[in-house]
Amino acid sequence: MKSARALLVAVSAAVLLAACSATPADVTGGSVAAPVPNGVQDPAKIPPAATAATACGDPVASLRPPAPLPAPGHMPSGSTMATILARGRLIVGVDQTTYLFGYRDSHGAIVGFDIDMARAMAKAIFGDPSKIQFVAITSAERIPYLLEKKVDLVADTMTINCDRWAQVDFSTVYYNAGQSVLVPSTSKATGIDSLGGQKVCAAIGSTSITNIAARKSHPIPVAVNDWTDCLVMLQQNQVAAISTDDTILRGLAAQDPDVKLVGQPFTSEPYGLAMAPSSSDLVRFVNGVLEQMRSNGQWAAIYDRWLGGPAPTPPGPKYKD
Amino acid sequence: MTANLVVLFVLALAFGIAGTVGGIQRGDLVGNVRTNSGPLTVQAQSLYRALSDADSTEASAFLSGGAEPPALRSRYLGDIATASAALTALSASGSDTPALRSLSVGLPIYTGLVETARADNRLGLPLGAAYLREASAQMRNVLLTAAKTLYRDERAQLANDRNGGGGFPWIAIPLGAIVLILLIRAQRAMTRRTKRILNPGLVAATLTVAIAIGWITVSWAVGAEHLHSSRADGSDRVNVLVNARIDALRARADEALTLVARGNDVSFDSDFKAMMTDLTGDRGLLHQAASAPVAAGLRADVEAAITDLKAWQAENTAMHATNDKGDYPGAVASAIGPNATDAPALFAKVDDDLDRGILVANGEFAAQAKDAASALRGLAIGVGALIIVALAGITVGFQRRIAEYR
Repeated sequence: MKSARALLVAVSAAVLLAACSATPADVTGGSVAAPVPNGVQDPAKIPPAATAATACGDPVASLRPPAPLPAPGHMPSGSTMATILARGRLIVGVDQTTYLFGYRDSHGAIVGFDIDMARAMAKAIFGDPSKIQFVAITSAERIPYLLEKKVDLVADTMTINCDRWAQVDFSTVYYNAGQSVLVPSTSKATGIDSLGGQKVCAAIGSTSITNIAARKSHPIPVAVNDWTDCLVMLQQNQVAAISTDDTILRGLAAQDPDVKLVGQPFTSEPYGLAMAPSSSDLVRFVNGVLEQMRSNGQWAAIYDRWLGGPAPTPPGPKYKD
Repeated sequence: MTANLVVLFVLALAFGIAGTVGGIQRGDLVGNVRTNSGPLTVQAQSLYRALSDADSTEASAFLSGGAEPPALRSRYLGDIATASAALTALSASGSDTPALRSLSVGLPIYTGLVETARADNRLGLPLGAAYLREASAQMRNVLLTAAKTLYRDERAQLANDRNGGGGFPWIAIPLGAIVLILLIRAQRAMTRRTKRILNPGLVAATLTVAIAIGWITVSWAVGAEHLHSSRADGSDRVNVLVNARIDALRARADEALTLVARGNDVSFDSDFKAMMTDLTGDRGLLHQAASAPVAAGLRADVEAAITDLKAWQAENTAMHATNDKGDYPGAVASAIGPNATDAPALFAKVDDDLDRGILVANGEFAAQAKDAASALRGLAIGVGALIIVALAGITVGFQRRIAEYR
């Protein structure tokens, strides 16, 4: 807190001096409010903690894949995959704002870790990873889009939990994320618990805000509209750290060489591909493709491509049959 | 008799001074309207407009990807240059208001944020869009707010000068009337006593005072009428149209920023809708501008603006439909594309309509202010000269009378 304040004071003083030196000597009291991202909440409104989770057994257990997996272009008749095959493209709901996982490159194409996962599914159905249509959606739109059948699949850094199982079905875990902490490389902080009394940034209404506020060390949560706004505030010395899923933090760290991830993840966020509850054959098929990707090195290749090697062991599947 | 002479002489002198000084002051105020507060209001307008245009241009440039189109870059730089020049002119006028200070301090911060955004965008980093959104917030929350205050202040100064310049000459005219009455009464008294019909000195004085009163009254009436027209047909129209244009520019920026934010910030789209209501709603600015009794040319421009605005609004709706279908590149193409059916061309039509209207109204303002100034031309010198003649007439008239007495 002290160091953040001192920094802020130093920055304001520097700006003040700059402002003063530009004006005649008799002009005093020139001051300037440092710019902040639009819609910032400082301190953040804390979203209510999730209600007692609906019981669903082990949330990361999914449906067992069929053996053998149908070959590309030859889906069992009457299956959800056959309908998709007949349509000619797989429709996938994705994020377009999470760097490295789902975002638009400078040519406007959606790329990232999640996007490659979705393309692998298209390849398994059609034999061609380009038979795919991406629909850019926000986090809040993920479940409605599945329930309204606007998309076949959602690949959007989506945490598997029992509340969501009550509405949609999930594949097996394809990435184990966890809430972690990103700080400037000069920071002495070692994790969320050494940030007591200091400002820590996360997106408005996210569970990350709730998690930050719940820490015993009492960091001060600051909320913004978009994750990149957190990095802007960090670069402007307006927050001491950013805390959310390590996946998002890796995406932010890739945009600034002067930041670092510190400490161990303090929550567990297993990511799964989400599908409509009525299409259990598709869930089984997707799990089969994930099995192949884990064993044939494709998962590791995607990890290498987006997150940099060496790739860890892919998360193992759990089935509830 | 001598006492009467002194009283009349002093009152006539006071009338002369009031008429001359009043004429000079009035001329100064009307001159101010023409050459100072009027032009400064225009400077404040162009500052306001340039800043809004910078906001919307930069948002469009951003949508084009890493390498922005050169035309948009030079338009942005032109906007910043215009804004800086206007800011310098306004600062040089001597006022040091908080609004001016916010602008001088805030403009470099804004441009700094924009350049950071460009550098990051050029590297393909989503961080660039975050800096752009922050720049836009700085523009809207700090700069445009201050520019609006500045514009309002300049308009208030203009109204002040105009009211002073067009005010009724409350000192000169009553004084003149008293002098005239005293002169007539003095002549009547003389006629009764001396049986002489006319005293040439006093007759000359009466005539010149009457002419001076007439001149002051007519120049006031004509000048005030022109000043009134300069407001009603000029600066008031300009004001409504300038506000309409700023709203349109802001809506244009909203349209682009909605796409830059990529669904994670819906505030830009609701702001777009608010701007459209402000423009075309039943009590909207454009209906205000069209419903007032205005010149036919101006009305045509405003009506064209309403039609063109509706076309643009339809494009915006279609663009959202495209985006909602997941076709982001299609939506971007419609927001920044080169075709006549794309947003830039549709917006440009609205902007041109409003620009023509503003030009007409600004021209009307300048013409009326000029006529008001001509109505006052020569007033001070003329009244001064007339009163010298009147004073001489009074002196001669009374001296003759006194001489006859002896």
